[in-house]
Amino acid sequence: MWKDLSDLLWQAYEQFGFLPLFIQIALIFIGLAILATLVAYGSILFRRWQGYVYEKRVNFITPKIEDMITEQVLLNEQLGSVPVDDIEFDPVPLSDKIYKKPWVRQIVIDVLIQYRKNFRGEVGDLLRKLYIDMGLPKDSFDKMKTLKWERKIKAVMELTQMDIPISDVTILPLTNSQNPSLRAAARNAYIQLSKNDPFKFFDIATEPLLPWDQLDMFRIITTTKDIQIPNFSRWVSYSTNKSVVSFCLKLIAHYDQKSAIPAVMDLLNNKDHYFRADAITCLGKLSAEMAEVRLVKIYDHQPLICQIEILRAVGQIASGKYLEFLKHEFSYSSNFDIRMNAARAIINHDSDESRVIVNELMNTTYEENRIIIKHCLNPLIK
Amino acid sequence: MFHWLNWGDVMYFLSGFFEATVYTYGVILLLLYAMLAILSFTNIRLYQKKDSYTDYKVIVGSPLAPGVSVIAPAFNEGLTIIDNVRSLLTFDYPKYEVIIINDGSTDDTLEKVVREFSLEKTDFAYNEKIKTKEVRGIYKSTDEAYAKLIIVDKENGKAKADATNAGINASSFPYFLCTDVDCILHEQTLQRLVRPAMEDETKRVIAVGATLRIANSCEIENGVITKINAPRPFLARFQEMEYIRAFVLGKMGWSLINAVPNVSGGLGMFDKEIVIKAGGYDPASFGEDMELMMRMNRYCYDNKIPSAIRYIPTTLCWTEGPTSLKVFMRQRTRWGRGLYQLMLAHRKMFMNPKYGIVGMVVFPYNFLFELMAPVVEFLGIIYYILLIVYGQVNWPYAIILLIFVYTYSIAISTLAILWDHINAKYYNNIWDVLRVSSMVLIEMLFYHPLIVVFALRGYFFQMINKTHTWGNMQRKGFQKKGAPKPAAA
Amino acid sequence: MANILVVEDDEIMLKAIKNILSKDGYNVILAKNGKEAFDKLEHADYDLVLSDLMMPYANGLEVISRLRNDPAKKHVSIIIVSSVGNEETITEAFRLGADDYLKKPIMAGELLIRIRKLLANRTVRHSL
Repeated sequence: MWKDLSDLLWQAYEQFGFLPLFIQIALIFIGLAILATLVAYGSILFRRWQGYVYEKRVNFITPKIEDMITEQVLLNEQLGSVPVDDIEFDPVPLSDKIYKKPWVRQIVIDVLIQYRKNFRGEVGDLLRKLYIDMGLPKDSFDKMKTLKWERKIKAVMELTQMDIPISDVTILPLTNSQNPSLRAAARNAYIQLSKNDPFKFFDIATEPLLPWDQLDMFRIITTTKDIQIPNFSRWVSYSTNKSVVSFCLKLIAHYDQKSAIPAVMDLLNNKDHYFRADAITCLGKLSAEMAEVRLVKIYDHQPLICQIEILRAVGQIASGKYLEFLKHEFSYSSNFDIRMNAARAIINHDSDESRVIVNELMNTTYEENRIIIKHCLNPLIK
Repeated sequence: MFHWLNWGDVMYFLSGFFEATVYTYGVILLLLYAMLAILSFTNIRLYQKKDSYTDYKVIVGSPLAPGVSVIAPAFNEGLTIIDNVRSLLTFDYPKYEVIIINDGSTDDTLEKVVREFSLEKTDFAYNEKIKTKEVRGIYKSTDEAYAKLIIVDKENGKAKADATNAGINASSFPYFLCTDVDCILHEQTLQRLVRPAMEDETKRVIAVGATLRIANSCEIENGVITKINAPRPFLARFQEMEYIRAFVLGKMGWSLINAVPNVSGGLGMFDKEIVIKAGGYDPASFGEDMELMMRMNRYCYDNKIPSAIRYIPTTLCWTEGPTSLKVFMRQRTRWGRGLYQLMLAHRKMFMNPKYGIVGMVVFPYNFLFELMAPVVEFLGIIYYILLIVYGQVNWPYAIILLIFVYTYSIAISTLAILWDHINAKYYNNIWDVLRVSSMVLIEMLFYHPLIVVFALRGYFFQMINKTHTWGNMQRKGFQKKGAPKPAAA
Repeated sequence: MANILVVEDDEIMLKAIKNILSKDGYNVILAKNGKEAFDKLEHADYDLVLSDLMMPYANGLEVISRLRNDPAKKHVSIIIVSSVGNEETITEAFRLGADDYLKKPIMAGELLIRIRKLLANRTVRHSL
């Protein structure tokens, strides 16, 4: 058998050109497959070895870096007594040769960022000072010049984390990048670092602001100190970018910008019902009493998701003027979700009047509705 | 191509036709695998690049994170239920609830949970959006620390589908995570699965899945994995390799072109609104996860909702794989039935341009290369046996072709293991890698034939059931839940 | 000096807090997850527990609940230090009996002041 096979292979080699096409293809693929398998095994081994070496180095160096930062920052004696800008670091440990190696410097940056995520205030400022004093901003800026987008993003994020200003010339083109992730990172950087007009790109953004990117942007807007919070109703009225508007709605609710109520109410005419639902949610969170009449008035012509949001909003506004409306919806709607939300809205009023209604309903309504009320009243269920 | 010219004309024509068909079929299949390898590599690299700068803590700290309901049915899990529930309560995610469905257990599953988590029966307004077997009660904890926990106690519905549906009915968030109570999930599961759903510019992401692995030899403490080991039992090792290939190479590849056929029942996050509108899981289906996916796709196309199903390469779920041949057979037979059943039920989608990529790519691929593969293979073997019996085999060519298929399948599987390594290193030492990758070498001899036979067994059962007993009988004998299906590679 | 148990799954934070608190003279014990925390709470008495919310095995809310429901440990002060910012979770933590809540990133000085204040209140309560 083996002899046959080797003979065959030898023959195949000699007579390759005379073999039928399908056998030729098969033979070529056998070669390729064996090659691919060997390369794959080689790569697996190489990657594991590489990973092992890197891990060993990291495990060796990270505690040293952590100790250094602990010494220099966390346990710094001058902390609290001397202004952060005037604190001088002990030059000896910082001038250690290992801190010249690029990969060590990268780990230092990563560790510093870890600390920055946990500490603000003076410790946070001192971490930033250490980053600057070690000359690490240059490493980050260098990374920004590479062609790889993921490296650029990392660089932008490092600088943002460390609160290092990036010039408009560098960052503005990136806010319009073709790459959505880079764009998002650049915008976040711009919001945090630009001192005069952080929300500039809200005016010009044409691409959607993805929900995932909104997370980081929201965090930055709500945590950056000395950021000038504008009146977001500006974009609610004028922006044609739906995702920007819906993000602004969330910010309006977060900052409780009651002056935005009229602008938000204008959205109630919008054709997109998901969008309308967002606007109604926002009005509810703002406890926009002036919107209540309008919400109840448009209620009948809305799709289910908007109706539910209206019920919720009326429950949050809780002026008490529309308890009869809620009671009516609760008693007569055939839709379970509507009854549930109506009941919740009544209970949310938490007034003498609403409690009377709840009692009355408990005594008069049918079994399923009674369970709905019990469900909403039960503190164990939320 | 035809080296037996002295045969009779008819035989000549028939065998020639058959050979040409099978050969073409094989070549297309192999090319598809090559394509998948390239697609999945691209997709994994993309995911990795994104991971290199992403800080998932941002979503953990954000009030904008969408809520996710974790739904896990349990049937007679009294032994492990406490640990399982505890581990489900420790996700790194700011907004979620855990819904355990006690699917009419006959052991002390319910009592144990009630005691451990200080539960009490509540007046829970349960809205039966999807019809299920009767719900006997819904329990909540009097201890605020477990406020996230909901237990739905229901009559046994003889299907995971029915239990999951009850969970969906009781859930209150826009997304739900479908899993099994005995699956061990990574603490980052929710934050990672939610991401693809939040960053699609044009499409509504209706389902997201991630890689599953075999938990059999992992060290587990209180429902949390403390050390990942490649499985030791032979059968489980094969499955581990199969899962890696199916998820890391298969689904990641399909995901790039939005042609994922199925999100596994062991771990998947779904858009609740679409699931309910599509009618929820079908308790009569043997492959309820893929069947639901088909209906969701159908619903989206019928209603002109541009939709997508996404996969991520990270392993987020470890599941117990069957180690006895009998259980394994039951599982695979079930999958075979499920596939047959759903292909038949949704045959209108086959090559139907109305269903876009699902009708033109996903469905035909699964029909031709998942459903038909065991059949073609089986016929091919019979054909070869006939040739051998009649002494008509051109041995050198036959052997070359065999070596071709063998080496090629090894190459693809080894690449899958490499891709998995590129994504992350799950194995602690090289022996674990070899333990799994060596299975590739002998898969064709041991494991693959089993799969083919069990699949055919499933088709056969489904066929006779169809003509003789239609309805409830289908479910009998298959009540034990098999491990979740990795499906189409 | 007071015994403080720090429960936190982020190792950097764990060590950092230990350093900061030790510098002020507190006796600091560390736990990397809920289970370790329960073990350590069994075997020693603490004056204050500083806990994260999301960790493996058992989350911060369970730690609070366990302490508040145990007559022998009811008196232990609890500060939650977490990156979770949604109001519901914070309210939940307080309802369960947390004494204070600090959102990451925290200010080291503030943490120390709050710890000092809580412990001082406790001594007052005890001596009454």
